[in-house]
Amino acid sequence: MYQFLLETSWLIPVYGLVGALLSLPWATGLIRDRGQRLAAYLNIFMTLVALVHGTLVFTQVWQQPAYQLILPWFHVADFSLTFNVNLDSVSVGAMELITGLSLLAQIYGLGYLEKEISLARFYGLMGFFEAAMGGLVISDSLFLTYGLLEMLTLSTYLLVGFWYAQPLVVNAARDAFLTKRVGDILLLMGVVALSVYADGLNFETIGQWTQTAELTPPVAAALGLALIAGPTGKCAQFPLNLWLDEAMEGPNPASILRNSVVVGCGAYVLIKLQPIIVMSSIAQDVLILLGTLTAIGASLVSLAQIDIKRAMSHSTSAYLGLVFIAVGMQWTDFALLLLLSHAIAKALIFMSVGSIILTTLSQDVTELGGLARKMPMTTLAYITGSAGLVGVLPMAAYWAMLDGMSKFWIDAPWAVAVILLVNGLTAISLVRVFRLVFLGDATPKTKRSPEVPWQMAVPMGVLVGATAALPFVLLKLDLLPVTGEINFTAAALLTTSGVVGITIGSLIQLNHVWLRPIQAPLRFVQDLLAYDFYVDKFYMVTVVWAVRSLSTFTSWFDRYVVDGAVNLVGFASLFSGESLKYSASGKSQAYMLTILLGVGFIGLFLSWSKLILPGI
Amino acid sequence: MLLSALIVLPILGAVGVGFLPLNGGQVKTAALTLASVLFGLTLVLMVQFDPAIAGLQFVENLPWLSELGLDYRLGVDGLSLPLVVLNGLLTLVAIYITEPTVTRPKFYYSLIFLLNSGVVGAFLAHNLLLFFLFYELELIPLYLLISIWGGAKRGYAGTKFLIYTSISGILVLAGFLGLTWLSGSSSFDYNPALSQGLPIGPQLFLLAAIVVGFGIKIPLFPFHTWLPDAHVEASTPISVLLAGVLLKLGTYGLLRFGLGLFPEAWMVAAPWFASWAVVSVLFGALAAIAQTDMKKMVAYSSIGHMGFVLLAAAAATPVSMVGAMFQMVAHGLISGLLFVLVGLVYKKTGTRDITVLRGLLNPERGLPIVGSLMVLAVMASAGMPGMVGFISEFLIFRGSFAAYPLQTLLCLVGTGLTAVYFLLLVNNTFFGRLPSQFSDLPMVTWAERSPGLVLAVLIVVFGLSPGWMSRWTEVTTIALVRDFPIVKHQIFLQEAPKDTPALPS
Repeated sequence: MYQFLLETSWLIPVYGLVGALLSLPWATGLIRDRGQRLAAYLNIFMTLVALVHGTLVFTQVWQQPAYQLILPWFHVADFSLTFNVNLDSVSVGAMELITGLSLLAQIYGLGYLEKEISLARFYGLMGFFEAAMGGLVISDSLFLTYGLLEMLTLSTYLLVGFWYAQPLVVNAARDAFLTKRVGDILLLMGVVALSVYADGLNFETIGQWTQTAELTPPVAAALGLALIAGPTGKCAQFPLNLWLDEAMEGPNPASILRNSVVVGCGAYVLIKLQPIIVMSSIAQDVLILLGTLTAIGASLVSLAQIDIKRAMSHSTSAYLGLVFIAVGMQWTDFALLLLLSHAIAKALIFMSVGSIILTTLSQDVTELGGLARKMPMTTLAYITGSAGLVGVLPMAAYWAMLDGMSKFWIDAPWAVAVILLVNGLTAISLVRVFRLVFLGDATPKTKRSPEVPWQMAVPMGVLVGATAALPFVLLKLDLLPVTGEINFTAAALLTTSGVVGITIGSLIQLNHVWLRPIQAPLRFVQDLLAYDFYVDKFYMVTVVWAVRSLSTFTSWFDRYVVDGAVNLVGFASLFSGESLKYSASGKSQAYMLTILLGVGFIGLFLSWSKLILPGI
Repeated sequence: MLLSALIVLPILGAVGVGFLPLNGGQVKTAALTLASVLFGLTLVLMVQFDPAIAGLQFVENLPWLSELGLDYRLGVDGLSLPLVVLNGLLTLVAIYITEPTVTRPKFYYSLIFLLNSGVVGAFLAHNLLLFFLFYELELIPLYLLISIWGGAKRGYAGTKFLIYTSISGILVLAGFLGLTWLSGSSSFDYNPALSQGLPIGPQLFLLAAIVVGFGIKIPLFPFHTWLPDAHVEASTPISVLLAGVLLKLGTYGLLRFGLGLFPEAWMVAAPWFASWAVVSVLFGALAAIAQTDMKKMVAYSSIGHMGFVLLAAAAATPVSMVGAMFQMVAHGLISGLLFVLVGLVYKKTGTRDITVLRGLLNPERGLPIVGSLMVLAVMASAGMPGMVGFISEFLIFRGSFAAYPLQTLLCLVGTGLTAVYFLLLVNNTFFGRLPSQFSDLPMVTWAERSPGLVLAVLIVVFGLSPGWMSRWTEVTTIALVRDFPIVKHQIFLQEAPKDTPALPS
C-alpha cells in the first residue's frame, strides 16, 4: 500500500493539474447554467486529495534515505531527458507546505471571491499554480525544474492579469511576465550550457560533475550568474524585484501563495543549484551582494508604502534577500528554516490583509483605522503573523534568525548586522501598518466593518494555530538549538533589534493623510523610498529604451534600407526599360548595324587570344 | 503508388473542382472532402512508414527524360514525412477556414490543390530537376492566390513574391546544374556523393547559390522583405499555408540540398551560417517589436524562428538536426494557429491594428476563447515549456551550444525578445477594457474555433510527449550528419560564453 503510494507520488502535483482541467468546461463557458462554485469545489477536493496522499508519503520518507523515482521522458540521439523525482523529508515537506497553503488559500478564496464572475478560471489557475510548485520541489531534474519555473511564470502572469480589464493590472501582468522571463532566459542559457558540460540535467549528475569539473574562471562565473538570474527573478530580488510589488494588483488568494511559497520555490531552486554557483567566487559574491542589497533596500522601501499589500510584498523581498545571503554563504539549513517560518507567517499576514481589503474595499493605509475593535479575527491573524515574522518572541522566525546569526557570528559579522537591521526595519514597518490600520479612530471607510465570513476566518484560524505551533513542531523535530548551544549574545541582540524596531514603530508620528515633509532632504528620502528607489524609471531609460530604439531602428532599416534597395532595383529596371524604348527608332538598317557590330565584337573578343598568340 | 497518389490526386481534384458543374457550397464540400482524403492518405503513409530505416522508403522510379537526366524518382524519409503530413493538415485547415462567400470558388480551390500537389511533389522528389519543377510549380498558384484574393496592395505583394521566389528558383537551379555538370554526372538523381570529387572552391560557390536560393524562400535576412508584404496582403487561409508549409520548403531544401549535397563545403561555411542565423533571429525579433499590424508581427516572428533552423543546420549535430526538424513542424503548427486566430480577430473586428484593438478577452461581448487560444499560441511561440516550441528550441540550443556557444546564446536572446513582442500583442489587444466600438462583435461559433483548437491540442500534445514526433524523423536526420565530426565541447570550455545583457522589464 505504502509502496504504491510512494511509486505514484508523482501524481501529487498532477492532482492540481487535473483540478485545473476539470474547471475548463466552466471557464470556457461550455457550462453556463450551473454555478461556477462546483469548479471551485472540484479544485479544493483535488488539493485535499493531494494533501492526503502527500501526508501518507511524508510518513514514509520521514528520516529515511531519499526515495528516487525515474520517469524516462524523451530520448534523442545521445541526449536523454528523464524526469527524476526525489522524495525526502525536505522535498515532501515542502510539497506538503505548498499543498496545505494552497488548500487554505482556496478555501479563503471562496469567501474572498464570492461574487467573482470568473470563479472557475481562477480556481483552474490556482490548480495549475499548485501543480507547478508541487512538481518543482520534488523534481530532481534541472530540465523539469526549469520547465516548472516557466509554468510558474506563466501562471503568475495569468493570475496577476486575472482582472485584465483594469489598466494597472495589464501593466502589472506584463511586468511580472517580462521581469521573470529575463531571469528565465538567462537561466535557460545556464541550463543549455550545463546540459552540454555536465552531460545530463539531473541534479545528481550535475552534482557529480561539479566534483571534477574544470571550468575556466570566466566560464564558471558566467554559468553561475546565469543560474542565479532565474531565482533572482522568481524571488523578486534586485534588480528583478519590481514585479512582486506590482503583482499585488491581482486577486488576494493568489497573493497569499505568491508571497509565501512561490518566492520560496525560487529560493528552493537556488539551493539546489548551490553546488554549481559556489564553483565561482564571483557568482557567490554577486549572490550575496544581491541578497544584501535587496534585504536592506526592500526593508526601507516597505516603510514608505501607503498600499498595505505593497508594504508587505517588499518585506517578502527583504526576507528572500536573507535567504540569498544564506545560500551564498552555504548555510542551507538556515535558508530552509527561514523559508518555512516566513512562508507560514507571511501567508497569515496576507490573509489578514485580504480580509481588510474585502471588508473596506481599500488597501490604502492612510484611509483605514480602528479595525482592531471591529475585526477581531483579522487582528489576531495580523498580530500572530507579525510575531511569527519578526525576531522578538521566540516564534519560528526568531529561531531561524538566531540560527543564522550563530552561523555567521565568526565568519561574517556583517551578515549578522544585516539580519539585525532587516529584523528591526521589518518590526518598524509592521508596527506602523498595525497602528494605522487597526488602532486609532474609525475612518469613513472602516465605520461599517463586519468580520469576514467563515470561509476566510477558518483558514486564518488554522494558520494562527500553525504559526503558534511551529516552534513546538520544530522543537519536536530537533530543529531548534539545544539550550547549551544557544549564542546568548546573539539572542539578546536579536531581541533588542526587534524591541527597538517596535519601539520606534510605536513612537514615530503617523498621520492618516499622505503627508509630505517640508524639509527637502526628508522629502527626497520619502520619495526615494515610496517610489522604490526609482528602479522602474531607471529601467525605462535604460533597458526598455534600448530595446525600443533598437526595434524602431531595425524596423526603419528594414523598411527604407533593405526594402528600399529592393524597390530601387525594381524602379530602376522599370525606368530604364521605359527610357530605352525611346531609343528604338524602328529602322531595320540600324538594328542590323547594331547586331553586326555586337556579333563582331564578341567574335573578336572570343578569338583574341588566338589572334595574338601566334605572333609571340 | 501512394506517393504518386499524393501528387496526382490533388491535380485531378483541381481539375474536378474547377470544371465539374457544382455551385458555391458544393465546391467547398467537395474541396473539404478531397482535402480530408489527402490528409488521410498522408496518415496512411505515416502508419506504413518504418521509422527505423534511415533511407528512402516507398521509392518510385520511372525513367522520364533520361537523356536530360530527369527521372520521375520519388521517395519519402524522415526528413520529408513530417512535412508532408503537416502540409496535408494545414491544407485541410486552410480550406476549412475559407469563407463560404469566397469569390470565384472553383478557381480558388483548384489553385489550392495545385499548390498542395506542388509542395508534396517537392518534398517527395529525389531527382534534382524534378524537385526544381515542383518547386517552381508551386509558385504559380500561390502567386495567383495572393494577387487575386488578397488585400488592397495585393498586386505589389504578389509581384514581389513572384520575383523573389523566381530568383530563388534560378539560384537553386544554377546550383543543381553546376553540381551535376561539374561532377560529370549525366543524371540529376539526388546523390550526396556528387560533390566529393569537386575542389572546395567550386563547392563553396555552388553551395552559396543554393543557400541563398533557399534563404530567400525561408526567408533569411536580408532576403526577407517579400514575406511581411505577402502575409499582410494574403487572405487568412493563404497566410496559414504560406507560413505553415511554404517556408518549410526553404528549410527543407537547406537541409536536403545544402547540407546533404555539400557536406564538405558546409563544414567550411558553417561558422558563417551560424552568425547569419543570429542576425536573422535578432533582426526578425527586433523588427517584430516595432510592428502594429498583427499579421506583420507574426510574419517577422517567422523570420526569427526560421533563423533557429539555420543555426541548428550550421551546428549539424544529431541533437540539433532533430531540433531543426522539430522547429519546422512546431513553427508550422504554431504560426498556423497564430494566423488562424489573427484571421478570426480580423474577421470579427475588421482590424488587425494592435493600437486600436483592446479588451477582446471580455467574457460576454468579446472573443474570450479566441483570446485564450491566442495566449496559448504566443506562449508556444515564445518557447514556453509544455508546448512544442520549447522542446524544439531547447534541442537546437543544446545541439548548437558546443559548436557555437556565442551564437547560441545570442539566439537565446532572440527567444527572450519573442516574449516581448507577443506579450505586447496580447496585452494590447486582449487585455484592458473593451471599447464601445467593439461592443457588439459577431458571435464566434465553435465551428470557427475548431481548427484553432485542433492545432492548439497538437501543440500541447507534442510538447508534452515529443517522442511521438521525433520517432518519425530521428533516424534519418541523424544519418544525415553521421559523417560530420562531433564537436568536442572540451575545446570550448576554454572559451568564455559571454553573459548577455538583460532584457526590458
